[in-house]
Amino acid sequence: MKAQDVLSYSFSAIKLRKLRAGLTTLGVVIGIAAIVALLSITQGLQATITRQLQTGFATDTLIVSTRGGFGGGFGPGAQGATNSGFELLVNDTQIINNIANVEMSMAIIQRIGNVTSGEGNLTATITGVDFAEYASIYSSTFVSESGVIPLNPENEMIVVGKRVSDPWKNGTLFCNVNDGVEIIWINATTLPPKKEIYTGHVTAVLKEIGGFGIGGPSDSGVYIPISQAESFFGTQQCDTIIVKLVNDDKTAIDSVSNAIKEAFSDQVSVTSATAVLNILSNVFSVIQLFLAGIAAISLLVAGIGIMNIMIVSLMERTREIGILKALGMKSRTVLLVFLSESVIIGLIGAAIGIASGWVLANVVAIVFSGRGGIGLGNHAAATGGMSITPVLTPTVTILALVFGVGVSAIFALYPAWRASKLKPVEALRYE
Amino acid sequence: MEISEQISKDERKRLMIFLVTIVEAVNLEKTYRLGKIPVNALRGVNLRVGSGDFLAVLGPSGSGKSTLLSLIGALDKPTEGKMIIEGVDVSTLNDDQLADLRRRIGFVFQFFNLIPRFTARENVELSMAIAGLNGAERRKRAEDLLEMVGLRERMNHKPAELSGGEQQRVAIARALANNPKFLLMDEPTGNIDSKAAGEIIGLIKKLNEDKGVTVIMVTHDQRLAGQSKRIVQMFDGLIVQEVVN
Repeated sequence: MKAQDVLSYSFSAIKLRKLRAGLTTLGVVIGIAAIVALLSITQGLQATITRQLQTGFATDTLIVSTRGGFGGGFGPGAQGATNSGFELLVNDTQIINNIANVEMSMAIIQRIGNVTSGEGNLTATITGVDFAEYASIYSSTFVSESGVIPLNPENEMIVVGKRVSDPWKNGTLFCNVNDGVEIIWINATTLPPKKEIYTGHVTAVLKEIGGFGIGGPSDSGVYIPISQAESFFGTQQCDTIIVKLVNDDKTAIDSVSNAIKEAFSDQVSVTSATAVLNILSNVFSVIQLFLAGIAAISLLVAGIGIMNIMIVSLMERTREIGILKALGMKSRTVLLVFLSESVIIGLIGAAIGIASGWVLANVVAIVFSGRGGIGLGNHAAATGGMSITPVLTPTVTILALVFGVGVSAIFALYPAWRASKLKPVEALRYE
Repeated sequence: MEISEQISKDERKRLMIFLVTIVEAVNLEKTYRLGKIPVNALRGVNLRVGSGDFLAVLGPSGSGKSTLLSLIGALDKPTEGKMIIEGVDVSTLNDDQLADLRRRIGFVFQFFNLIPRFTARENVELSMAIAGLNGAERRKRAEDLLEMVGLRERMNHKPAELSGGEQQRVAIARALANNPKFLLMDEPTGNIDSKAAGEIIGLIKKLNEDKGVTVIMVTHDQRLAGQSKRIVQMFDGLIVQEVVN
């Protein structure tokens, strides 16, 4: 029997039971749509985050923090306290600057504080940095939109991120250049806790960065000169030291990392931008695998549905199989007839599933973006507006198709095999 | 040649079966197992059918005639003895070879066994599709065959829209589609009214006499058996009588 005749025979059998075939197809559609939607959203999310990291993130930098401070990648801004009693100090940059291949290094002190302006108050991460060095390391993101970032800052100067200046996006600014603001920080290291107040004025508002950066500037950051931070927070201890290397060679990154760890007797962790990107990529692979695994369960259920329906079909059509065999159809052709019925269902289901999964992913992305994005990130005290564009790669499309068809074929294998093994005499006698 | 010149025409007609044997059963036995009890459906049947023959197998139900038919049709294999079709022992054939053999046998069943979702023409085409014929060729031949059985006008109707007699004529057209070596009929008039049965009998007889189609038929119908050239009477798994009409 010719392949096209097998197909048209199978198709006529499917058409006979439209509702049943439709429901079976729906099972495949749901499974494939779930897989495609989840994968294209996570891939879109990964692409967005990676892109933002690469812009807000210099690849030739290392981030030094006390163990457990920055360690696992990106958590909320580290407070710098360690269990071992080791403290990373602001002037430890001098030790690091002496290491070969280091161009410069700078300390960062961060605390969560409350910022008050004439318009209200916000909770934000207060970051003490050397403005000149910070601008030199993050030359593409620590850039002012209005006002000027002072290279030799006088006291009480504040640089704020875009989201701090304009948190509500409704025309009312929380603060603007030359506005006076008050930073309130509760010092909990003394008993009773002491309320510290820092009064300053905004000299610059940063250009919008989008999303978040690791170690680098953030839209929701409030920046004060490092010397001011030291006296305001009453500490010499810093949270992280950003190290700029002469280049971003892997050998330079590795040798400097090791030298720094050695210099601090292994009490610090050193994270390279490249390593963070790799960790992130690994995390996303695991998330994708996990989500795809969950979605695959629904496809498995669809497969069992196919098997069930094919067995029912086998019972109903026992006599028909007997007729086909009496007319001289070979066992393997009977197998093919049954398999191709299931594969047709799988193919249609997968095609509809890919299309509806893609639509679903876009709907989810729109809903997500409409809510103002997601608050991931190092300095994410306020939400950074991040829109996700779902990504559907040809690989995912083809895999979804293969998977849909494959599951249909595999679950139809047993019923098809049983159909092919029916004895013609018995099949013809079957009522 | 010498023999055939010496004997009369009638006798030659009868002896022809020995000249070109199509079907030969040798000590055919078939045992079924119903649970633990063996049932001897056939207990040593010997039979020869030659080209152009019209054989009717008569017998009460349970006499083994349906079993004999399924063995001749290569739908089943004997327990003992040999079933030889065109010189080939069926027992030696594998699954694929059996399928090939069945394409050259024209089955006609009591309950027609047409595919309900196909039209008359598609049903006739199906057996040719299974044999691997291409679409255009199939269509032409299906139409010719349906014209021959008198159903050209109704070839686009589905079985449910056809009478029993019409359905059986579609089944006969389907059976003839692949130029079979012989027609194998199981109670062809068993499920249709007597008027339609008369037409079917006429059609079968015409096929046998005019087109030389060999017919092997199991029947209860004395009227149909009376139209055949030979009648074999079965009882309890054995052939008990053979009559030449």
